[in-house]
Amino acid sequence: MIRSDQILKTVSMIQKEHLDLRTATMGINLLDCRCGNVKKTCAAVERKIKNYAKNLVKVADDIGEEYGIRVVNKRISITPLAHVCAGFDAKGYIAVAKSIDKAAAAVGVNFVGGYSCNVEKGMSKADDVLLDSIPEAMFATSKICSSVNVASTKSGVNMDAVRRLGEVIVKLARGSAKKDGFACAKLVIFANQPGDNPFMAGAVHGHGEPECVINVGVSGPGVVARALERKIGIEGAENLRLDDLAEEIKQTSFRVTRCGELLGRKIAKRLGVPFGVVDLSLAPTPEIGDSVGEILRILGVDDIGAPGSTAIVALLNDAVKKGGAFASQSVGGLSGAFIPVCEDAELSEAVRKGSLTLEKLEAMTSVCSVGLDMIAIPGNVDAATISAIIADEMAIGVINRKTTAVRIIPVPGKKAGDIAVFGGLFGSSAVLPVRNVGKSSRFIKWGGKIPAPIHSLNN
Amino acid sequence: MAKQFIISVMAKDRPGIVADVTSVISDMNGNLADLSQTTLCGYFTMILVASFPDDVSQQEVKEALCRKGGNKNPQFSFEIGIKESQILKRAEVHSGESMYILTAEGEDQVGLVAKVSSFCKRLGINILDLSTKLHEDRYTMILLLDMSSVKSMKEVRKALEEFSVKTGLLIELQHRDIFVATNEI
Repeated sequence: MIRSDQILKTVSMIQKEHLDLRTATMGINLLDCRCGNVKKTCAAVERKIKNYAKNLVKVADDIGEEYGIRVVNKRISITPLAHVCAGFDAKGYIAVAKSIDKAAAAVGVNFVGGYSCNVEKGMSKADDVLLDSIPEAMFATSKICSSVNVASTKSGVNMDAVRRLGEVIVKLARGSAKKDGFACAKLVIFANQPGDNPFMAGAVHGHGEPECVINVGVSGPGVVARALERKIGIEGAENLRLDDLAEEIKQTSFRVTRCGELLGRKIAKRLGVPFGVVDLSLAPTPEIGDSVGEILRILGVDDIGAPGSTAIVALLNDAVKKGGAFASQSVGGLSGAFIPVCEDAELSEAVRKGSLTLEKLEAMTSVCSVGLDMIAIPGNVDAATISAIIADEMAIGVINRKTTAVRIIPVPGKKAGDIAVFGGLFGSSAVLPVRNVGKSSRFIKWGGKIPAPIHSLNN
Repeated sequence: MAKQFIISVMAKDRPGIVADVTSVISDMNGNLADLSQTTLCGYFTMILVASFPDDVSQQEVKEALCRKGGNKNPQFSFEIGIKESQILKRAEVHSGESMYILTAEGEDQVGLVAKVSSFCKRLGINILDLSTKLHEDRYTMILLLDMSSVKSMKEVRKALEEFSVKTGLLIELQHRDIFVATNEI
């Protein structure tokens, strides 16, 4: 029997604390759409997406309605496109991307992830074409997101790809200068990219995944923040220690994940598609009270970025995983705490105030679930410096056997401290100063690879 | 075991009522099924379902219970209601798919429960369980609802929203599975 205090606790989690299902993402394998001819491939891709995802939005909304928990985003992830378009020239890739965009609009999803390739150990011709065509593809479409896996613990870091992606990012920024370089928000560079991550912009339908699958991403930084405040309010800060707070986060994460799993499975069942994973990430939104930064403050740093911030992120990330892993039959994706600066009101404020710097963020990413995410930097930072920032982040992922990612936006015409605005879920942020610009060119120029670390030899 | 009785008991609360009632039932070879009991302001109430052998009559059960209740102190005598009911198969009782929990919270005032329950009545929603709590001057109601006769959840939610605006009550309607998922292992 459910007690009334449990009922009221759950109600307040949903009503006041922003609990929702952040995304239901349908993974679709597109390999059987490839054929020697661009036109036919376009038609096949469009047909397949429309066919598989035609009920996705309606079913997700219906389930949200029935259960009283909103499914905020409905999205699609596809087989990394380099595998589908191999053999085509850039025009062919763009044509297929446009067809996907069309299909996405027809089924009503807000993003499709998968303008992607895996190049951690080397680049095929198909990857080469894809990499070069990323800016054009992003400008020619509105719903497609791109991601490139340039590093893995098994293979090391492909520094040729890292160098080229620095240039791609600069092009994306320049081409979307009127929107503060927003196109860069649709490209994520990964180390150890998971093939079942439901979150954008880095979602792909990886190899080894089923034909079609539903993965869901839960949210809930607000729920965790309120749970901590309540705990501190009831028991008194003087009677609590960090392990008590970690336990509270763990239990809250359990509840949040259970909701996500329940809804995800219902959606999958109604669509007649297997259920994949729950991604247990604490994904913030720019809304007040839905911030990971706020949790850091509650846990004891007056300004985010102050010494202690990294330790707190580590505690938070671990507690979220522990609670979620027990709550779900299958956990996957990124699973942990995101710290996307622009998308989190408190992190973004910390950047404005100057308490949170790029270097501290980098340290925090070594213990959070993703990486340097949604970070605005001055528009005049050169491509080589951007590549070097990427290389640092990739090294963290490779050595620590974890996913790391970079989604960085050099905002054209803006300097450190100016405000970049991306709107909606993408939020806004002050432009972060980058120190030592232009001093990494010789490093990036080498190219080649950072070899796989010694612990890749674990067979 | 062919007869099923629904029995209600109300009495001034004291230790031992449940033991007294259930021993009377078991002494008469009655087999208990569902039972729900609560106390409020020093009064005890219980509703239960029990099946009895064919030769036991309603009257006999009622008399046995009344004897037990009043035999020590008439102040604690039982008020008994008893009805024979058809034996339902488990599946016919309530399907889990349509069970919802509604919570409504607002400033205490006359007629809140009447308003909420009339709302349910108007939409053909059956209330299976209702508990309310007054804390300082905030009044909270928790209702377990069977919505199997509701056609469109969308319309219910819309009506609920209008109702919430009209009455100033903070209302939330969730599927029961959410509570099960978040509170049970």
